[in-house]
Amino acid sequence: MTEIIVRWAVLGIVGFPALAVLALGLRAWLYHPWSERTTVGIVASGFVAATVACVVTIAWLLAAGLGEVRVPLGAWFSAGHYSFQWNLVADRLSIPFATFSTTLLGLVAAFSRRYLHREPGFARFYLLLAIFGAAVEFVVLAGSLDLAFLGWELVGVTSALLIAFFHQRPGPVEHGLRAFVTYRICDVGLLAAGVALHFLVGTSDVGPLVGGPWAGFVVPPTWAGATVVGLLILWASMGKAAQLPFSGWLPRAMEGPTPSSAVFYGALSIHLGPYLLLRAESILQSSWLAAGAVVAVGALTALHATFVGRTQSDIKSALAYASMTQVGLIYVEIGLGFRYLAVAHIVGHAAIRTLQILRSPSLLDDHHRLEMAMGRQLPRTGGHLERLVPDALQPWLYRVALERGGFDAFLKDWIVSPFLRLMGWIDRADQAWVDYLSKPSVARQRKKQPNEVLR
Amino acid sequence: MTTTFAAFQLLLLLPMSWVVGRSDSSRSARVLARRTMLAAGAIALAQLVWNTFDFPSLGWLEQWLSIEASPPWVPAFSLISCLMGFTAVSLSPIRETRPTTFRRILLLILVALLFLSARNPIALAFLWSASAVLTWLELRDLRSAPKIARLFAIYHLPSSVAFGLGVLFLTQGRISAGLVLLLAAIAIREAVIPLHSWFPPFVQFAPMGVVVAFFAPQLGVYAHMELLRGALPEHLAHAVASFGALTAVVAAALGLAQTHARRALAFLVMSQTGLVAFGLDTSSAVAQIGALLTWQVIGVATAGFAMTLASLEARRGDVSLRRAAGSFTRTPRMAVAFLFMGFASVGLPLTLGFVAEDLLVQGSVEELPVLAFALILATALNGMSVMRAFFKLFSGSSEHIGEQDLTRREAGTLTVVMATLLLTGLFPGAAVRSLERVADPPHIRPDSAHVGSVD
Repeated sequence: MTEIIVRWAVLGIVGFPALAVLALGLRAWLYHPWSERTTVGIVASGFVAATVACVVTIAWLLAAGLGEVRVPLGAWFSAGHYSFQWNLVADRLSIPFATFSTTLLGLVAAFSRRYLHREPGFARFYLLLAIFGAAVEFVVLAGSLDLAFLGWELVGVTSALLIAFFHQRPGPVEHGLRAFVTYRICDVGLLAAGVALHFLVGTSDVGPLVGGPWAGFVVPPTWAGATVVGLLILWASMGKAAQLPFSGWLPRAMEGPTPSSAVFYGALSIHLGPYLLLRAESILQSSWLAAGAVVAVGALTALHATFVGRTQSDIKSALAYASMTQVGLIYVEIGLGFRYLAVAHIVGHAAIRTLQILRSPSLLDDHHRLEMAMGRQLPRTGGHLERLVPDALQPWLYRVALERGGFDAFLKDWIVSPFLRLMGWIDRADQAWVDYLSKPSVARQRKKQPNEVLR
Repeated sequence: MTTTFAAFQLLLLLPMSWVVGRSDSSRSARVLARRTMLAAGAIALAQLVWNTFDFPSLGWLEQWLSIEASPPWVPAFSLISCLMGFTAVSLSPIRETRPTTFRRILLLILVALLFLSARNPIALAFLWSASAVLTWLELRDLRSAPKIARLFAIYHLPSSVAFGLGVLFLTQGRISAGLVLLLAAIAIREAVIPLHSWFPPFVQFAPMGVVVAFFAPQLGVYAHMELLRGALPEHLAHAVASFGALTAVVAAALGLAQTHARRALAFLVMSQTGLVAFGLDTSSAVAQIGALLTWQVIGVATAGFAMTLASLEARRGDVSLRRAAGSFTRTPRMAVAFLFMGFASVGLPLTLGFVAEDLLVQGSVEELPVLAFALILATALNGMSVMRAFFKLFSGSSEHIGEQDLTRREAGTLTVVMATLLLTGLFPGAAVRSLERVADPPHIRPDSAHVGSVD
């Protein structure tokens, strides 16, 4: 009986935010949006109920001394040898994430009520927040890479739409599109990893719990297979985690409403990349190349972001680069196998960064209060870097950091623009061919104007 | 039994199309055409119910005409074709759709319904040509783009001739020549690269209702299934699959470079059609089911997507993608419908498109791994196209230019389309099971009317 209750509780972690989506979405489509108070009530209740469901699951896992509970919900669809299973896993990795996510989302939902009061997109914000919440829980509790992909995609869509929340201005729209394009490029890796796992081991499900603190994906039998899948998962994670070279969208993403910036790019969305790597740790451990690539990507991003972040002149961009630095370090920890450190780092970083971003509109006031309390100006930070970097190198490094390492320019000048130019050229050639075909023939033109010469 | 219901459709649609064409105004023609399509949908629904519950057979017409019974999945496909037709007439703007145009839309849907019911290759050839002639007549009347009719004829006259000769050769046992001619005819109709040049201008300039009625039922896919599937030797089947994959990727990439929403839509549809062509020519039953589902998704989602775009164009005039120049605030329902159906057509999670593309990729990866990964790339690029079009058309401006949101008629129609996509996506089991029988290897009939194998 208790086990059945717990299974329902695990289902509720995803289900309650999904119900909130349904309640908000249907009314909005029928042109009868709820009042602000009711909208917040529905979304916050969904997240509170999901948090309670998380707590029930944790309590049962602790009381029963179990490492995990699996909730098989049956096949979504199946054809021939292939079957897409709904399978949720609540274990030592997913449940802390799920609890933390629902709690944070509930708090942000409550916080945003005043922050977005009378904003024209109030209902839209909460609808997207609820979709995002359900999608994050899908990714976190997914018992297979296929199911994770489902939530992963929805996170990307909601993220782009919230970056472009203030859609009357071209800036946020461009940045939302940029973020979405980055996500899609990296999502190729996730879908390909799922397909590769099906191809190599016959399933993309989370395997049985053996030895480690949590279960991971089934490891391909060969080193090459593990390397390919590991690298694909790394590729997939880099988009949402804003790792080099896919980092340019993150500072631009701060154009969205502050609460969504906090919960997406300070706390949850940006940590889904590391979460995916933690779930795929079994595969990374089987391939030194994939694990080394994780370390390299993380280290390079951390270095890049810490330098670039110091040259930013607005607080949200500075916080975006600070997030990037920390996530880079989390990548290094995961690549080196420090899994518990990585989990603690994620939770700690998410909490502090959310608070910082939420407080960022009050930065000047906070600064002032702090100085009043100390009775003097706040001391400068970053002096240790100035001592470490030789004087001759500092101006060059400053210029490079101001240009964000040149990565944005590189991507634009060497990849995006040539690609669009090539497509434009092919399109123009196609249109020229169409013009040639649809042009009336010379004989027909003469027939139409028989007396042209005589006139 | 299918023939009996097809006869009912013929008795309804043929006289009603004549009545619709003689209406006093486009508005009254649209009302009449809508009601006619509703009645046609009711017949298709009755056929589906009759088939599902195994009511007494109405196969007397088949017996009388001595023709073979249609496959069991035809009723569902007929209903979907009626939904496409209903969407096309309901959302056709008065500005670009004359009573004669509504007549031709009804006739095109009638041709599609008869095509689904016909088993005789000669009848298929006749219907194939009839749909091309109806569309050409409409294009010939276009004053805004007089060259399009010529371009259309340049491509579709050879397509019709090739189709007719192809079935003639097949019935005479000259299999190789017949297959090649049929492949060429179908490749032109399905706008497979490099035989695609007629399609982008066609979508750009023709009335959108005609575009949907001509293209969405995908007669080429049905002809492919009925006449070619299982008949092509492996190397030819793989070549066709490769062209399908090439079309999927290149068209998706070209879609990103478009500056007009209608042309972007054309390349999106071409890309999706490439996926179908790819899937049908793999030997995997799973991939074939995925291809057939993609066929249906193209029909329903793309019809809704295209008609929403037509509604927007009727309000705004120009649907350029050069710069973001719309306002989501004034047309929220239209924006949501546009985004939802755009994403549904490219595989948004929890819609039928996701199921279709997942099956397509998972089924084909063993046989054609490189091409399967190409499909993943195509899907990612298509998603970017949809989001780009959404942002450019529905954001970037705070000016209100008097655009009205969806009317009750439009919203009601799109609600049906969206609900169909969502419900069949959430519960795809029945649809997939019904297609499993279709994906079984086709039986080889002793009479050469149906193709067996080349050797």
